Amino acid sequence: MLAHFWVAFIAFAAALVLGEWQMYVRSPLHGWVENPEHYYRSVTAHGTVMRYVLPTLVAMGFGYAITELSLKRPLIGLTWAWAGFWLVVIGTVMAATPVALGHASLLYTFYPPMIGSVFYYLGVVLVVVGSWVWVALMSINLRSWKKENPGATIPLAMFGNVAGAYLWAWTAVGAAIEILVLILPVALGFKDTIDAGLARVLFSWTLHAIVYFWLMPAYIAFYTIVPRAIGGRLYSDTMGRVAFVLFLVFSMPIGIHHLFADPQVGAGFKFVHAVFTAMVTVPTFLTVFTIVASVEIAARLRGGKGMIGWVKALPWDNPMMLAVTFSFVMLGFGGAGGIINMSYQLNETVHNTQWVTGHFHLIFAGAIVIMYFMIAYDLWPQLTKCRPLSAGLIKVQLWTWFLGMLVMTMPWHLVGLLGMPRRMAYFDYTHPDIQAQAWTVTVSTIGGFVLMVSGLLFIYILAVARKGAAEPAPFTFSAAAHPGERTPLALNGFAIWVTMMIALTVVNYGFPIAQLVSLKETSVPAVRVGGQ
Amino acid sequence: MAAPHDSSSSRYVQWSVLLLVVLTLVTLLVGFVWLPSAHPDFSAQGIWAAICRAAGVPAKWSEATEPVKPRISTRVVLADVARSGTSQAAIGHGATLALQQCTMCHGAQGITAADTPNLAGQYPEVIVKQLVDYKNGHRTHSLMQALSANLADDDIHNLAAYYASLPKPRLDTTADDSPPPALVRVGDPVRNIAPCASCHGGIDRKLGTPWLEQMPKRYLEEQLHAFATGARRNDSHAQMRNVVRQMTKEEIAEVSDFYARRGMPTGDR
Repeated sequence: MLAHFWVAFIAFAAALVLGEWQMYVRSPLHGWVENPEHYYRSVTAHGTVMRYVLPTLVAMGFGYAITELSLKRPLIGLTWAWAGFWLVVIGTVMAATPVALGHASLLYTFYPPMIGSVFYYLGVVLVVVGSWVWVALMSINLRSWKKENPGATIPLAMFGNVAGAYLWAWTAVGAAIEILVLILPVALGFKDTIDAGLARVLFSWTLHAIVYFWLMPAYIAFYTIVPRAIGGRLYSDTMGRVAFVLFLVFSMPIGIHHLFADPQVGAGFKFVHAVFTAMVTVPTFLTVFTIVASVEIAARLRGGKGMIGWVKALPWDNPMMLAVTFSFVMLGFGGAGGIINMSYQLNETVHNTQWVTGHFHLIFAGAIVIMYFMIAYDLWPQLTKCRPLSAGLIKVQLWTWFLGMLVMTMPWHLVGLLGMPRRMAYFDYTHPDIQAQAWTVTVSTIGGFVLMVSGLLFIYILAVARKGAAEPAPFTFSAAAHPGERTPLALNGFAIWVTMMIALTVVNYGFPIAQLVSLKETSVPAVRVGGQ
Repeated sequence: MAAPHDSSSSRYVQWSVLLLVVLTLVTLLVGFVWLPSAHPDFSAQGIWAAICRAAGVPAKWSEATEPVKPRISTRVVLADVARSGTSQAAIGHGATLALQQCTMCHGAQGITAADTPNLAGQYPEVIVKQLVDYKNGHRTHSLMQALSANLADDDIHNLAAYYASLPKPRLDTTADDSPPPALVRVGDPVRNIAPCASCHGGIDRKLGTPWLEQMPKRYLEEQLHAFATGARRNDSHAQMRNVVRQMTKEEIAEVSDFYARRGMPTGDR
C-alpha cells in the first residue's frame, strides 16, 4: 500500500511542476514558448500522470487498505496485488518515456487520428491491466468474506470500494476497445487510416465515468472517515450505499455530453446523455446532505445549539473539518460549472474553452485530490507506524491548496466565458482583443505556483514523518448514527446494479456505436506525431 | 452490524428497475420525439424522419438531387515512401531518368541557382506527390506537365528515390543564425496562421511537406503568391492556401527570404 501511495505522490509532484511550467510559459510573464511541441509534451505528461497514474494508484492502495481494515482480515492474493502494482509502474515508465522523448504528444485523451509511439499506448494498457488485477482482487476478497460471514452486512467502506472497482472495470472497456481495435493496428503500422469518429465515441464511454472512479476514494472518505475524524456519527449508512449504487448505474452511459460538438452523433442521443448526466447530481446532493448532517451531529455532540449556531461548535481546528469544507466549496463551484457543461445548449458557450479546464481542476484537483491528501494523512500512521503528523503543517497545506486552486481556476472560468480556448501553447497578448485578458493568465499562474508549493509541502509532510511511535491506535471507520439500521439486501450486493449499469450502457451507446461501425468510408488518414 | 433485511428488498429492486425504465423511456421520448417536433429541420418530413434524424441517420442528407461536385485539388494519397525502403536499382534507374530530363533546370546534383526548387535530399513522398499532381493536371507548369506526362508510376518512384538519396546541401556552421521570423516560429494564432516550422521542419515535420532550407527566394515567393490567389491548389485540404491568404506581401517576402538564406554562409546572399 505504501508503495502505491509513494509512486502515486512522486509522480504527482513531477506532474504538478510540469503543470505550473505550462501556466508560466504561456502567461505574459514569459515570452512565447519557442517550440509549442514542448508545451504539448508537457501537457501530455501532466494529464497522463494526474489522470491515470495518480488516481489509479490511490484507488488501488486505498482499496487494499479498506479491504484489510474493514473486513478485518489479511488481503487474499498479496502476490497478485504486487503483480498489479508492478504492471502499473512498468506501464507508467513505458508511457512516460515516449512522452518525454516527444514521440507521443497526444494529450492524455489520445485524439485520433493523431497517432503516437506504440509504447505510449501499450504503457497505458499496462496501467489499466494492472488496475484490473486490483478489481479482480477486490471482488474475490469480498466474495470470500461473504462466504465466511453469510448474511452479514458488508461494511460501507468496502461496499463503496467494490462499487468503485466494478465501475472502473466496465468504464475502462471503452478506451480498451479503442486502443486495441482502432489505435494499435495503426500505431504498429498495419494500417494508415483510422475511424476517428468511432474512436471518439468509444473514448467518451471511458472519459466521463473515469472521473467517478477518481471520485470514489474521496466519497468513501466522506462517508467513512470524516465523521469519525471530527468526532461525529455517520447520519445514514444506507444513504451512502444508495449514493454508491447510483454512481454505478448513472456514471457510465453519459459520456456523449463530451461530444456535443461532434457531428457523428445524433442530437437525440446527445439529449439523452445530457439527461443522465444530470442524474449524477442526485448521488452528489445525497452525499452533501448526508455529510452535512453527519457534521451537524458532531457539532451538537460538542454542544452546538440553534438552527445555524451549531456551525460555530464544529471542530474548526481539525484538519479533516477544514478539508471537507474546502472540498465541498470546490465541489459546489465545480459542480455548478459541470451542470453548465452538461447542458446541451449552455455547453455551446463554454465548449473547449478554459472554462472546462477550470471545471475539472476544481472538481478533481480540488474537491477530490484534497481528500486524497486526507486519506494519506489519515492512513500514514497505520502504514508507517510514524508519530502523529504535524497538524499545523497539514492545515497550511490544505489552506494553500484551497486558495491556490480558487486563484487558479476562477480566472479560467471568467476568460472561458469570454471565449479563451483551452490547450493553447501561447496567446498573442499584443492583439487588442486578447490584451485585456492577459492579467487573468498571470493570476492563474500565481495560483498554480501556490498549488505547486502546497503539493510539495504535502510530500514533505509525509516524507519527514518520523518513525518510532508506539503501536498506532487501531484504525476505525465512522460509526453510524443509528447502529441498528437494517440494510436492505439489495444494497448489500451488486448484481442488480451492475446489471442496470450494463443495460443502460447498451441502451445509450448501443445504437451510436453500431451505426458508426456499420458506416462505410469513415476512416481518415492517421497523423503520426513526433517524427515517426 | 445488523443482518440485512429481506422482506422489503425485492420491492426496492422492483422500484429501482421500474424507475430506471420509466426515466429512460421518458428521456428517449423527449429526445427523439418531442424536441425534434419543435424544430422544422427535424419535423418537416414526418415523425419517423424526425426520429431517424435525431438518431443521427437522416433518411436523406439533403434536398439537392445531384450532390455538388467538389473541385478536386489532388488525387495523391500520401504514403510514407521512406518507410517502405528503396533499392539501389530504383535509385540507379532514377538517376538515369534525372540525367535525361531534370538536370537541365534542377542542376546536376539536384541543386541549382536557376530559381527552380532544389531537389537534393528532398523527401521522396514530396517528389512523388508533385510529379503525380503535374501529371494529372492538378498543378500547372508548362514544362513540368509536359515532362511528367510521359512518366510511369515506377519512373516517378525511382526519381523520388534518386533525389532522396542525394545529400542535402549542408547547413553551414558559419551560416546566418539570425533568429527566425515570428511567423516561422510561432505563427499568428489570432489570424489562424500555423508556424511554418510546425510542418516544414524545426518543430515537426508532416508527411508530404518539403524541406525548404536554401530554396530560391523567388521560387518560394512565387509559390506562396500562387497559393494565395488560388492559382496553385494542389495542397490537400487547402492547408497552404488557408495559411497564405492571411499573410501580407511583406510577410511572404520575409519568410521566403528567411528560408532562402537558411544555412547559407554569411556574405553569400
